Amino acid sequence: MIGRGTLLLVAALLVASGLSLVTAQHLARSLFVDLERARQQSKALEAEGNRLRVELGRASQPAAVEAAARGLGLRPVDAARTVFLPAGEGVAAQTGAAR
Amino acid sequence: MKQPPAWRSGATTRAGARAARGGERVAFNATPLLAVKLPRWRSMLLLFLLFCAFTLLAGRAFYLQGGIGTDFLQRQGEARYARTLEVPATRGKVTDRNGVVLAASVPARAIWAIPEDVDLAPRELAQLAQLLQMPVSELKRKLAAEDRNFVYLRRQVEPEVAERIAALKIEGIHASREFKRHYPEGPTAAHVIGFTDVEGRGQEGIELALESTLAGRAGSRRVIKDRLGRIVDGDWQRMPVDGRDVVLSIDHRIQYVAFSALKDAVEAHRAKAGAVVVLDVKTGEVLALANWPSFDPNRRDRWDAATLRNRALTDTFEPGSTLKPFSIAAALDAGRVSPELRVQTAPGRMTIGGRTIGDAHPHGVLTVAEVVAKSSNVGTAKIALDLPAQTLWQTYTAAGFGQAPSGASAGFSGAVAGRLRPYEAWRPIEQATIAYGYGVSVSLLQLARAYTIFARNGDVVPLTMMRTEAPPAGVQVIKPETARAMRRMLELAVGDEGTAPAARIAGYRVAGKTGTARKLQNGRYVNAYVASFAGFAPASDPRIVVAVMIDEPDTARGRYYGGDVAAPVFAQIVAGALRTLQVPPDGAVDKVQGRPIEPPRPPLQRLAEVAWVAQ
Repeated sequence: MIGRGTLLLVAALLVASGLSLVTAQHLARSLFVDLERARQQSKALEAEGNRLRVELGRASQPAAVEAAARGLGLRPVDAARTVFLPAGEGVAAQTGAAR
Repeated sequence: MKQPPAWRSGATTRAGARAARGGERVAFNATPLLAVKLPRWRSMLLLFLLFCAFTLLAGRAFYLQGGIGTDFLQRQGEARYARTLEVPATRGKVTDRNGVVLAASVPARAIWAIPEDVDLAPRELAQLAQLLQMPVSELKRKLAAEDRNFVYLRRQVEPEVAERIAALKIEGIHASREFKRHYPEGPTAAHVIGFTDVEGRGQEGIELALESTLAGRAGSRRVIKDRLGRIVDGDWQRMPVDGRDVVLSIDHRIQYVAFSALKDAVEAHRAKAGAVVVLDVKTGEVLALANWPSFDPNRRDRWDAATLRNRALTDTFEPGSTLKPFSIAAALDAGRVSPELRVQTAPGRMTIGGRTIGDAHPHGVLTVAEVVAKSSNVGTAKIALDLPAQTLWQTYTAAGFGQAPSGASAGFSGAVAGRLRPYEAWRPIEQATIAYGYGVSVSLLQLARAYTIFARNGDVVPLTMMRTEAPPAGVQVIKPETARAMRRMLELAVGDEGTAPAARIAGYRVAGKTGTARKLQNGRYVNAYVASFAGFAPASDPRIVVAVMIDEPDTARGRYYGGDVAAPVFAQIVAGALRTLQVPPDGAVDKVQGRPIEPPRPPLQRLAEVAWVAQ
């Protein structure tokens, strides 16, 4: 026959293991919730990144730059206002300027 | 008759009598009075019934937990906490060669309603209509469809707007996640990139041609949700495969230069339409491809079918004189003529097989180089008629005319082959007209590609819309020395004596050829023209080929020639593109179209760094 002590011990172990199973499950789930939240955050950040990239694209659009530049009283540079330097030398050899 | 129960006749029993007699104590539990004599079968019956009941319970438990009924219960349980979620894949981005986003998907919301659940106060209705940017009457109409249990109110709503709608807390109004495609460049690159439908499937342009690369594959996952709707456990999942990004060969700065120059020209000449193609000579990459009229891919509601067409790829036209260099090149290549050979073009008319062709102005004796520069139809016809038809046809075919460009993998959806009839069927008059670009139809993309044989050393490379690192191998069409000779001739064509001095720019030598072709309508040539220009720069070591086509410039003011209409567009684009590409200048800068230039003002900066100067 199994002694009363052994029986109690086994019962205690059983209870402990049961409780730890519950705790582990709970822990796993709360970690999973955290993981899920992190995943969603990463998705949201990725989407935000895409949105910002689109916005950047919109802002750096040549048409937008041109409009802004014209607003500042600038106009596109042309060859007439460009100084051409011969290769290898720092001297302006052929020059051109505005009307 | 029944015996009276023992306890009622206690006095008659022996023990009872003894107790009564002598006051002798008997333990209560041994009281004979309590000794009940039950029939044994009753306890047995009870035991049996209990046994049966427990057996039933055990059977039921087994049935539910370990056997036949388990699946059903598990399904029912799961149905209450497990959900299969669709995990959408994000569509890939389209970027230009420098990584500038041309198309990207951004999360959006679809607002939908269950009409029978919606009961709106007039104030809520107004608020909702305002947030959805639709008239109250339209919203009412959508919500009035009570026989339907689902109706989209508006799709592709910004998430912020969706949140404000959710904040109204109207019953029966829901939002679900979706993606909205954004095109930051708007109309500038609309035809190249194309667009998707509301479900995110490619419909036109690159979006359609590279659908399989961009689309990705949606995944799904089985999860367990708690009562708060949080996902607490995962069962299984099939990960979504996000669409891959596509890097185009387009440079958005050159694209803009091309687009705005084209747009200005089409509007200034009150033309019907126009298109521009800019190619990288070394790699066959399309650096820019623009069409006008254009559309804004971000504003679906304003589209007009006519503006959606990518004319540079899908429309063919009779190119006229822009094709002359190819017949001259065929003759040069065959050794029939040399650039210095003199050709009599007087009196500017020529009759072949009963049909007369003519020049715009009579020129007299011209060298072959001058025939190209002055664009003499008679001279070209004479040179071409001296050639076997097959030779001319072979050169044209090898240059890509009458051949559809390499397919959708290169990003050209809907590109057409044009028309070049087999040489066996040519009559002499046809051979003459085909030599100067009539009786043959090409797309602008084909024309631009064909010009790479002059810009390169007589070979042609397959074109692509994708950024390529390694230049592809070319297929030789004409001899390298023929290509060199043609480059010199085409440079003359933009000289003071040529047809297109307006194509010149300061700092670079350019080369190219004009074309002004009458349009054929219902089998008759009418008083409407296609003005074109195709050329390359810098002429000393060509980097880009630019082809411009303006459809039906206004003839009323007499300025409908390729040299007047298309050449300035070419010049504008070449100047912008070469500056963008930081190509070192190879030409004189002291004179632009004969106009002297004054000395500059400091400060000096590198060529490409300053794009804007103070006015």
